[in-house]
Amino acid sequence: MALDIKPTRSELINLKRRIKQTKNGYKLLKMKRDGLFHEFRTLLGEMIEAKRDLTDAYVLAKARIDLANAIEGGLKVRSAAIANSATPEVEVERRNIMGVVVPSVSGTNLKQAFGDRQIGFTGSSPYIDEAAESFGDLIEKIVKASEMEATLKRLLAEIESTKRRVNALEFKVIPELEEAQVFIQLRLEEMEREETFRLKRFKNK
Amino acid sequence: MDIAVVGSPEFTLGFQLAGISSIYNPEDEERLHSVLRELLNTKGVGIVVIDSTVLSTLPERLSMRLSESVSPTVLGIGTEEDTTLRETIRKAIGVDLWK
Repeated sequence: MALDIKPTRSELINLKRRIKQTKNGYKLLKMKRDGLFHEFRTLLGEMIEAKRDLTDAYVLAKARIDLANAIEGGLKVRSAAIANSATPEVEVERRNIMGVVVPSVSGTNLKQAFGDRQIGFTGSSPYIDEAAESFGDLIEKIVKASEMEATLKRLLAEIESTKRRVNALEFKVIPELEEAQVFIQLRLEEMEREETFRLKRFKNK
Repeated sequence: MDIAVVGSPEFTLGFQLAGISSIYNPEDEERLHSVLRELLNTKGVGIVVIDSTVLSTLPERLSMRLSESVSPTVLGIGTEEDTTLRETIRKAIGVDLWK
């Protein structure tokens, strides 16, 4: 690759400056990668816990709704479900972790109190209420887990691209620049030797 | 933004009981795929909840798209754990850190 470089002194100076700059950038990127990775490891622990919680909450909610179905009958549960019109909403905001924009999800109206469910005393039963409540819990956990999942995905994508950049600098860009530098230095020395030799020949004549 | 739930009527019933109104009950596989594709391109949906057993039967291309999507975030829940995130981590970092 190095052969299409002009072996001049100014080129050598430019090259030296570029190598210094590149090495600086490499160091910074490496730090960014390590920082991201650190952040990722911390979040991953929380995520694993959140996922486990989620599965537990789901199992509980499922058991309760199965019970409600068995005792009250599917039709009654379904009609209670249709009657409920208080919709949970999620709000997505942006947060910044080391230059990575990650969503921060907050929910409103995720879990409703008994009175807000608009099912009424007569249309409901403790089993249905319990099921609705545990599904409310489940939705809260879902919101939390989904925020973390989205954050981790963004972080992962950033880690991957930073890693690729660091590796490209370390194994491709910097070695090539250094190779070019060595080439120019050798070529300049060679030209100098040629020059002295030429002068000697001149003197001898 | 909304939370959407996709799955069999038994799966979605509880979420409906908790007040979620974006409920999708696709009857067959083809409908399921088109519903998921549609949800991926819908702006007002923040979270898509799907049964993890259904998630594991999807064709690879679609499940890749689902697991890469951030808005909406697709979350598989169920009694068996959802391994899509674990897969993504393994691919990005090269080591399985999920322990």
